[in-house]
Amino acid sequence: MRKNTVKKIGIYLFLVLTLILFLGPIVWIFALSIRPPESAFQYPPTLIFKPTLDAFHHVFVSPGIQLRQLFNSIIISLGAVVINLPLSFLAAYALSRFPIKRKGLIMGWYLGLLMAPPVVFLIPYFILMNNIGLSGTHLSIILVLQLITIPFSVWLLKSFIDDIPLEIEEAAQIDGAGTWKILRSITFPLCGPGIIVTTMFAFVFAWNNAIFPIVLSVQKTATIQIGAFSYFGASGVQWSVIGAIAVAAMVVPMIIFLVLDKFVVRGLTFGSVKG
Amino acid sequence: MLAPSFILLFALTLYPLIFAVRNAFFYWNLQTSPTPQMFVGLDNFKNAFTFTPFMASLRNTLLISFIGIIIEITIGLFIALALSAKMPYLTFVRALLIMPTTIAPIIVGFMFRYMYWDVTGLIPWLAKTLNIPEPGAGYLGSTATALPAILLADIWQWTPFFAIVLYAAIVSVDSEMIEAARVDGAGGIRVVWSIILPTIKPVVVVIVLLQFMKLFNLFDLVYVLTRGGPGDSTMTLSYSLFQQGLVNFNIGVAAAMTIMIVAILNLLVFIYTKFVMKGSKLS
Repeated sequence: MRKNTVKKIGIYLFLVLTLILFLGPIVWIFALSIRPPESAFQYPPTLIFKPTLDAFHHVFVSPGIQLRQLFNSIIISLGAVVINLPLSFLAAYALSRFPIKRKGLIMGWYLGLLMAPPVVFLIPYFILMNNIGLSGTHLSIILVLQLITIPFSVWLLKSFIDDIPLEIEEAAQIDGAGTWKILRSITFPLCGPGIIVTTMFAFVFAWNNAIFPIVLSVQKTATIQIGAFSYFGASGVQWSVIGAIAVAAMVVPMIIFLVLDKFVVRGLTFGSVKG
Repeated sequence: MLAPSFILLFALTLYPLIFAVRNAFFYWNLQTSPTPQMFVGLDNFKNAFTFTPFMASLRNTLLISFIGIIIEITIGLFIALALSAKMPYLTFVRALLIMPTTIAPIIVGFMFRYMYWDVTGLIPWLAKTLNIPEPGAGYLGSTATALPAILLADIWQWTPFFAIVLYAAIVSVDSEMIEAARVDGAGGIRVVWSIILPTIKPVVVVIVLLQFMKLFNLFDLVYVLTRGGPGDSTMTLSYSLFQQGLVNFNIGVAAAMTIMIVAILNLLVFIYTKFVMKGSKLS
């Protein structure tokens, strides 16, 4: 019994240390965002200061440059999932239900897209968007994001559709319902949770992407993720403002992950591990 | 039904492919011309080795990928095992632990740039408190520490990912099997080695591949923290490709590098699927 208690205390201590190491930096950035600017220069670094919302005011109200970037992030991420969902749902359904030749190859190709270095796609798209007059638009980023969101959503959605028993659809088929009717009135509603989960994860994927806006956006379409770069000035770094931007950019995926807690493992492994 | 998504993706991927294959054989600087300028045969491939830090980038990329994977999965496994002890509050710990993984890598870059800051950064201060000598040009500015410093940020972000996925896999291991082994006198290490690890192997094989690719493509952290410097010490393949194609606008050389990077990637994935993933879910 005694040995057991020691072991338990050991595990708790280890996990407390783990939490300090992995959540500490996040707390530190939250603290930065409400630090008075002069406190960021105080040595040794301290957590004792008079909190202020000045940095958030600067970022979102006056002059509020990042407010537009926040909107851009929302427009681009929403746009990406809106285009993504119908295309990937149909593909996932077909891959789950129909006897398609070389199914493994197609799934492997989708996965390959997720694992390819994005820079490889970006150079040609940067030139193409210039040539067809889409450069600097939200749409250009939304379109290229499909390279990530579609493969991801197909994988995750397929895992959800695979879970729906075939018998329900077969029964409807015997009753004379056609493929589209079954899809619309049976599979789609049954997939509700899967679709919501997939869409939310795809939203996070798009939201957290920085390399596409770095290359494809201009000042008026820049997203919040890359907004902090303009505060590394030659005359000094405005750390509190950078902290406020970082906090604004990270709360959105944090909340989505907390909401999706039960599906986090599944989402992060593209549906291949059901947590 | 497959067609719409298939065609869109096919078009989206075919274009860069044709682009790379064609332009790899042309001299083309986008600053001086909107179209390819001159057929140069294999010169771009040669130039990729002589005028760009391709070998240094390859070395750094492989170092980051292999060392990163080993550290992340080892620490992740320990955390997962601790989480799987049947004790109160652990689900709460698990839910909080995923937070670093949810943050955009670029934002993680900003966070660590602040924490490495040589004036009042948390990490230099901690190191000084522990009497660890600080490199002269700061952690991000010194050749010896810049690459490990970037790796540390990645480890911080992705170790929780391993912890949580491995935890999910460990929980699904048949507890009767573990009980039976314990009754037969197997100790903790023996149970982990002979029962838990073999059972979770299929999951490990999948997440190692996914994470290896993320590390191999590392870009955001390099972009925020070091831009490949000092010297070539933190150049990764993704970053030096970005630099050739989108900073120097040497499209021809970048196209040649693209072909080589994709070939290396395919070779690594081929070896992995051939020898490690046999019969697993993703193959």
